[in-house]
Amino acid sequence: MKKLDSHQHMTTPVIAARSVGTRVLRSEDPRLLSGRGEFIADINLPGQLHVAFVRSPVAHARIIHMDLSAIRDADGVALAWSGQDVAPLCEGLVGEMAVEGCFPTTMPLLAKDEVLYVGEPIAVVVADSRYAAEDACELIDWDFEELPAVTNADAALAGGPVANPQLSDNLGLKGGASFGNVSEAFEQADQVVQGRFYTCRVSAAPMETRGVIADYEWASKGLRLWSNTQMPHYLKYMLTAYLGFPEQGVEVITPDTGGGFGQKAHVYPEEMLLPLLAREVGRPVKWIEDRRENLIAGAHAHEQFVDIAYALDADGKITGVRTDALGDGGAYHMPPWSMAVEPWCAVVMTPTGIYDIPAAEYTYSAVATNKTPVGAYRGVGYMAGTLARECLADDAARALGMSPFEFRRHNVVRDFPWTNAQDIVYQEGSWLETINVLEKMVDYPAFLQRQSELREQGRYIGLGLSVFVESSGESTATSQEHGLGDVYHDTATVRLNPNGTANVTIGLSAQGQGLATTMAQMAADTLGINVEHVSVQTARSTSHAYGSGTIGSRGAVVAGGAVARAADVVREKVRLVAANMLEASVDDIQLTDGLASVKGVADASVSIADVATSIYFDTSSWPEDFEPSLEATQAYDPAQAMFSNGGHAILVELDPETGFVRFEKVYSVEDCGTVINPNIVEGQIRGGVLQGIGASVFEELAYDESGQILTTTFLDYGLPTMDVAPPFEIHHLETPSSHSASGVKGMGESGLIAAPAAVLNAVNDALTPFNVVLRDLPLTPQRVLKAMSGELSTAQQEATSTQGETGHA
Amino acid sequence: MPLLAMRLAAPSILVDLQHVPNLSDIEDRGDHIRIGARVTHREIERSALLADRLPILSAAASHIAHPQIRSRGTFGGSTAHADPSGEWPTILLALSATMQAVGPHGNRTIEADDFFVGPFTSTLRDDEILTHVSIPTTRTAWSFQEAAVKKGDYGLALIAATGTPRGGVLVDPRVTVGAAVGSVTRLVAVERILTDEPLTDELAEEAAVAAAESVKPISDIHGSSDYRRKLVASLVRRAVVELKNGA
Repeated sequence: MKKLDSHQHMTTPVIAARSVGTRVLRSEDPRLLSGRGEFIADINLPGQLHVAFVRSPVAHARIIHMDLSAIRDADGVALAWSGQDVAPLCEGLVGEMAVEGCFPTTMPLLAKDEVLYVGEPIAVVVADSRYAAEDACELIDWDFEELPAVTNADAALAGGPVANPQLSDNLGLKGGASFGNVSEAFEQADQVVQGRFYTCRVSAAPMETRGVIADYEWASKGLRLWSNTQMPHYLKYMLTAYLGFPEQGVEVITPDTGGGFGQKAHVYPEEMLLPLLAREVGRPVKWIEDRRENLIAGAHAHEQFVDIAYALDADGKITGVRTDALGDGGAYHMPPWSMAVEPWCAVVMTPTGIYDIPAAEYTYSAVATNKTPVGAYRGVGYMAGTLARECLADDAARALGMSPFEFRRHNVVRDFPWTNAQDIVYQEGSWLETINVLEKMVDYPAFLQRQSELREQGRYIGLGLSVFVESSGESTATSQEHGLGDVYHDTATVRLNPNGTANVTIGLSAQGQGLATTMAQMAADTLGINVEHVSVQTARSTSHAYGSGTIGSRGAVVAGGAVARAADVVREKVRLVAANMLEASVDDIQLTDGLASVKGVADASVSIADVATSIYFDTSSWPEDFEPSLEATQAYDPAQAMFSNGGHAILVELDPETGFVRFEKVYSVEDCGTVINPNIVEGQIRGGVLQGIGASVFEELAYDESGQILTTTFLDYGLPTMDVAPPFEIHHLETPSSHSASGVKGMGESGLIAAPAAVLNAVNDALTPFNVVLRDLPLTPQRVLKAMSGELSTAQQEATSTQGETGHA
Repeated sequence: MPLLAMRLAAPSILVDLQHVPNLSDIEDRGDHIRIGARVTHREIERSALLADRLPILSAAASHIAHPQIRSRGTFGGSTAHADPSGEWPTILLALSATMQAVGPHGNRTIEADDFFVGPFTSTLRDDEILTHVSIPTTRTAWSFQEAAVKKGDYGLALIAATGTPRGGVLVDPRVTVGAAVGSVTRLVAVERILTDEPLTDELAEEAAVAAAESVKPISDIHGSSDYRRKLVASLVRRAVVELKNGA
């Protein structure tokens, strides 16, 4: 393993769990569920103007002429800008990933010379009302010459028409690596199983769309920017780096946010334009994205092809794995995650999954196409990687005549710490136990019996298994161990008040995950006080704690670590004074259940509230040379990569007349180390799995061959609803992390990461009598019915699995 | 409203019918029921009278979008909109309903067969509004089938089948298809097969084959015409079996 730096902020205190592990009700809910949340659309500033964008109706064209004078003359319009107007203020946003073989692009704030995708902003209008702004947008006068639209990743990779002139061979990323003797594994294999999997283009489609409000105060040069971003500090940095607003005068404010899922973890042209517009017009400006804009201009996700092969020996052991991922990246790298992150993560992160495979080789590429840029979406890359690994595991099991449980048990890593082929250490895990628990939960023999009985009646049920391992608590170490240069750390501030209550501020903005609740639990247990006595402020403003973003299953781990470290500093102050008050040694003072007590002495205690009051108001309680601040800010960043694991088994039934997939039940096993709050973990599992069901069966952003997007409303883009949500049975395993605070690991992304593989495996299990294996998502009714009508033989499916019969443009 | 929101329509004048009287009642008139244009989908869904006398309407109402939309959207609005995916156009055609319209030149009635003439197109004139729909209550045999990927979605195919049972057969069956086609349509070939014949599983199969042969399905991102043809056949089979069991 690469030698990692070690720093003070990577250690965490030992915490005696009191509220951690219990089902503390979410402190956010009374406010949010009674309509008292304040979301960005609810915020109105005096004198504000409204912004609307003109977006390209064509996929690829050269702009010949653009005249905004009719817009500027329209009623109520204060300002209109084209790409020519804005370029002198900002050339655009550079997007790339800090990995070798990534070729950057610059995305203009408004297209200036060429438009590269439908939905790309080409002009912006500021007016008295949104109505006036949208009406004025229709008055744009422009000519363009259409250029060939690149809409197919394979064609883009082969060369031919260029999608983005900055990438002359369409390549945004290319690279690979090999570990162990892969050639030998494949040469000596008893058999090789392989397949090409396709994860279709989807949208995170958060319930709340994006929104930005900018207010510039010329006298102080102060900029306040409201954005429902997942990365407020990064956005603040970008406002300074790209636009030159003085860093010390910039405040990014994140109000209540209705879901982000990675889509709001980018920096968008709209977020850069609003501050410039506010400065220009001298009034606050507001833009709330509508749903159509969100579906065509919010970051897209997932679209890639993954080719994967397992070398199997005569015993059915996997001796080598080869993976190639090809991402259809859209027109630009979307900063900061870029089009590279999806295919790169798919093959580089956990390339052998849960299996003990000694040799692994991977290659990855991302190509530009004339579609909306692809960025991060919950478990970015992991979903496609897990789909390929876990569905090929079922192919292998079928080839070997083994049950999917048996094949996995036969190949799973059993001993920890385990060092994988990349030389990365997995400290702990319950991988084998996950398989065993799932097998018991589904009662596999009873399922097989029922499946066979139902087949006699012409009913087709299937059980799909997906067992995953994922890196969590995104950190500098995770990044560096995998060859990336990203640096992360987050701070938290903890203050103990005179009556022994605490206020906590963290650097992560919340999108509905319940961070204020879980962080209160971490702070309460560290300080030894009741969880109801802690109030947590998530990052509502960059004026407080620093954060690297609510991404990568890192909230509980990283904010939790920072909270524990900051609370520990305060705890030490309390212990010092308590020792003085109780005339005991500080080493013997423990803080639990609201009391500072002397270890082993039954009635020697003082309430933490009394200690706090004394520190504020009674100097006689102080030990010598005491410094009375009961407020501390500390940073945290995990010392090494940490990996969560788990699995899902999903039970489906296929309707042989309509091809509809009905979801009967989801069985989930999750091991995220110490569980802070089971309610919240289970909520994350349910939501993530449902998004996985959506991405497998209901959702696809469809394009035609000219690059026109066909799914611009929820009428055409099918999100799963409660009506399709099956009942869940959830089992928790707890294998604490060796190095995080309390042993916590991240799990926010696991449902979406692993569910699609279980869905595809379940559908293929149900299709067994039809001798066909599907490998493309989504599993539309039409595709399923075709498979059930015998129109696709296995051989035909192999041939079509690269392009699916409806054609993904 | 969606057309306005999507900027696909930009009328210069919008007329609010909210305060026009006498458009909001469901009235029992013996051999028919008269429904006002401003009655909401939700009111139809919850009407005890309709549940008793025209249960096909109650059953179909729950397929229309979601409760919030059903509470706002109106029977007359959806009927006049003539959306080929609409439950009401499909059902009103199958029930042989009569539309009542009023305009500057007075009142007029239009039979369902003459009302729905194309996608989003009815024979209502620009200066007319739909005020009421009269639905005969004699067609007591009925089935409504909808294939939608998720509850609340537009259907991929709709089938409505009704008829008057007499002596163990249906004397005047009407079978209509929506959603799978460009405009709500009667499946005349299927109606012919069902007329005056005892309903059996074999007849259901024959009807399904006739439906597949005669329907002219559309093709879009949600399903090819070939796929929709199979759906129509399947729904017609299910509808006939349901008619058989209910008749």
